[in-house]
Amino acid sequence: MNLRSILLQAPAYAAFAAFIGYFSAAPLYHHLAADRAVVKLSFSHAAERREECHTRTAEELAKLAPNMRAPLDCPRARADVHVEVMMDGAVIFSAVEHASGLRHDLPATVYRRLEVPAGHHVFRARLADNASGEFRHDGQIEVDLAPGRVLVIDFVASRGGFRFRS
Amino acid sequence: MGGIAIGARIRRWDEAIGAGLDAIFPAGANPWRHLGSLAFLLFVVCAATGAYLFAVFDTSLAGAYDSGRALDSQFLGRLVRGLHRYSADAFAVFTALHLLREAARGHFRAHRAWSWLSGVVLVPLVWVAGITGFWLAWDERALYSASATAEWLAAWPWRLALFARNFATPESMNDRFFSLVVFMHIGVPLFALAATWAHFQRLSHVRAWPPAALGVPLMASLAILALAHPVASLGRADALAAPATLAIDWFYFFPHALAAAFSPAALWVAIGAGFAALCAMPWVGPRKRPVAARMDLANCNGCARCAADCPFGAVIMVPRSDGRNHPREAQVVPDLCASCGICAGACPSATPFRRRTALASGIDLPQHTVSDLRVELDRALAANVGAPIVFACTPAGLAAGAIAVECAAMVPPSFVQYALRGGAAGVILAGCREGDCEHRLGDRWTRERFAGLREPALRAAVPRERVRLVFRGSDAGPLREASLELEELSAEERQ
Repeated sequence: MNLRSILLQAPAYAAFAAFIGYFSAAPLYHHLAADRAVVKLSFSHAAERREECHTRTAEELAKLAPNMRAPLDCPRARADVHVEVMMDGAVIFSAVEHASGLRHDLPATVYRRLEVPAGHHVFRARLADNASGEFRHDGQIEVDLAPGRVLVIDFVASRGGFRFRS
Repeated sequence: MGGIAIGARIRRWDEAIGAGLDAIFPAGANPWRHLGSLAFLLFVVCAATGAYLFAVFDTSLAGAYDSGRALDSQFLGRLVRGLHRYSADAFAVFTALHLLREAARGHFRAHRAWSWLSGVVLVPLVWVAGITGFWLAWDERALYSASATAEWLAAWPWRLALFARNFATPESMNDRFFSLVVFMHIGVPLFALAATWAHFQRLSHVRAWPPAALGVPLMASLAILALAHPVASLGRADALAAPATLAIDWFYFFPHALAAAFSPAALWVAIGAGFAALCAMPWVGPRKRPVAARMDLANCNGCARCAADCPFGAVIMVPRSDGRNHPREAQVVPDLCASCGICAGACPSATPFRRRTALASGIDLPQHTVSDLRVELDRALAANVGAPIVFACTPAGLAAGAIAVECAAMVPPSFVQYALRGGAAGVILAGCREGDCEHRLGDRWTRERFAGLREPALRAAVPRERVRLVFRGSDAGPLREASLELEELSAEERQ
């Protein structure tokens, strides 16, 4: 490799390295405005059954094959989960999520990232998980949400319903 | 018509870029013509540096961040981590350029379809292998990417939103998930390696490695970059913080920015449509397959030169079927044949000096036989007495005024001797730019045959000063110069 060749190639390699080095960390990505915060609603919840179980009568049991004669008939499908998130009294998110699974008998899963103005807010979340659509679970928090901070809203029925974390 | 014009324009750009880099890089070491092998080199460097990092890195959720910071504070750690990252970035760049270039050159149909499809499959694997590597540092950037990927997956209805819950709170992430990330970061590249092996399968004489004159300076420049501009972890990951700005690696993080700018669903649609379009390319456009080479058993002595020279492994040797005293015979696999004629140029039967019987080669192109070539050569010798004879390959676009051949290596060296005996001032073989043969190996085999390094070799008695190999693509200047030189040489000899 002669000097001319080195003089020609060196800038080419330097330019390539500079290209790789620059775009490996720049330009800075602004994925959230400086005065915004984030609310993450995330839960997985099995709603109530869409229909109540009922006790089979003797006639009904007689019609079934002997190995299928279970006294209770429980339709597997679960109700939709309706969830709402309010900020300072205004609804900022509302969704109806179907139960998952081929027979709609598994939990409904909700994940949503919401960008909100930073500051002092009252967040309220409520959830309906029954066939009537009545909101039977409710939770509220008053929070100072600094810019760039995250409020996580979870729902765990066995631990009392909505849980807020910031 | 519009599509053809655009295709021609893209090919001109491709050639212009290659020609521009020819002025900088030594012959045979032009990076534009080694994009695939450069990508492979960088993949191997990623694997080698990754093996070191795996040995010294704490791949637990609690220890990963501190382990990354510890690497940043050591010379060797900075060097290896930087090389690992920058090689991965360069790997993505070369992979993308390789794919675009092959697409621009129409290398996705017929005999190239397998290489194309196996290459397209590699693209998402490269991304998954790369992005999971960023997660292992478990800093702000890692958490952002993991969350953004999870939110992107959540656009699907099949409970994939559950994945996003892993990153919702500090407690929701655990070592088990981190082990899965480690497994993906190692397992997906292994799968990619298997796909790379498949990618090479329908090619012969694959040059997986770039020339040292290219690979060594490239790695040196990335090593210098690793030390001069070290890769460093950002702040510790905190699920309850969302930094407004982040220093992201655009080579791998661009889908996150696109998903945020449009929507996760729109990005899935765009990527799905793009991937489907790439996979469908072998079946769109001109459907005509190249006419496969034809073997003539009566003229085949089973020497296997055609099988050795075929760039696509379309000629195989099988046991003799006619009882003659040769153990093998050539057999053409039509689906793999590019119809380049390199096999005909390699056949010892393809000699124009045979006059007693019709000129028939052991293997030949039905649409352009060696016998046709001799007829064209005889005609050119009669029409241009004392002028040089030019054989030019059609892909290079210089066939006007020359004897057009499918590839420069289709011309058996004995034709050069025949032309000179017939009174030609000299013989020029013109073809694609060096290292850029449309049929992969035409320039290489021609050079080796004419240098006496490969059979069939140009006979030692042929005056070399009367023969020119001009591998400069569609650049007609060097061809004219070679022609003038040969005419002057001939004029001097006559005086």
